[in-house]
Amino acid sequence: MDEVFKALADASRRSLLDRLHAKNGQTLNELCDGLAMTRQAVTKHLGILEAANLVTTLRHGREKLHYINPVPIHQIGERWIRKFERGKLAALSELKRQLEKRDE
Amino acid sequence: MSKPEKSNLDPRNFKPAIVYTIYIASTPEKVWEALTTAEFSRKYFSGHAVEVDQRIGGAFIMRTPDGALHISGEVIECEPPRKLTVTFNVNWPALVEKLGPTLVTYEIEPAGDAVKLTMLQSHDRDISDDILSGGRAGWPAILSSLKSLLETGQALAIEMQPPERMLAALKEMGIGTP
Repeated sequence: MDEVFKALADASRRSLLDRLHAKNGQTLNELCDGLAMTRQAVTKHLGILEAANLVTTLRHGREKLHYINPVPIHQIGERWIRKFERGKLAALSELKRQLEKRDE
Repeated sequence: MSKPEKSNLDPRNFKPAIVYTIYIASTPEKVWEALTTAEFSRKYFSGHAVEVDQRIGGAFIMRTPDGALHISGEVIECEPPRKLTVTFNVNWPALVEKLGPTLVTYEIEPAGDAVKLTMLQSHDRDISDDILSGGRAGWPAILSSLKSLLETGQALAIEMQPPERMLAALKEMGIGTP
């Protein structure tokens, strides 16, 4: 679990996860596209995410695809968040989202 | 039993839409047993009972707790205790006709003292995020519960909300839902 928190404690890695969340199953080239990071940096960050089991890679034909793996985050949720009241937390998140939308 | 009739579905034409990995302190044989027997699946798969005729072309079915046929599929790849691919078609009217078949693959690899279990949900066409939201919500809970069952003998009692977003999207496509 330490690895999960360490992997998430980096804005570049979180942005890579955001990109996979928006479009799952991307190649390294697709992930690098439009990012202000070198290919080497992206490769290194993906390695850390994969070691933390937040990203799973698989071969599809000749391509290596990257998939977001939310299972460790789910386990964190089960361990800590479910003990609180999830319904109320969801309502608060929704309230925050609605209020922040007005400023856009 | 009569020889099962093989469909000519080629898994290479399917692209994974959802890929989830979990590490379990267990053996490949135990994980295989948990994935393929009703005794286990009832505990971690929201009460659903799995039945697999473990040969290519064999039947793969899953029943709801009241015994109704929920998933009816076919074994596409079967290499115990390493890999199982099945068609995972939910028995809702017009679903397969509109969305095409769904493939589910389980890959089991030894990883030190643990086992790496990877689950893939694949389709032969693009499927909307609304439809995929059902699997995205369900599979992490199912896999976490399977892990708990094998490691502690106790599955997780996870309270699942009905997959409203997926159900609404299916309804919009004219697919019958319960």
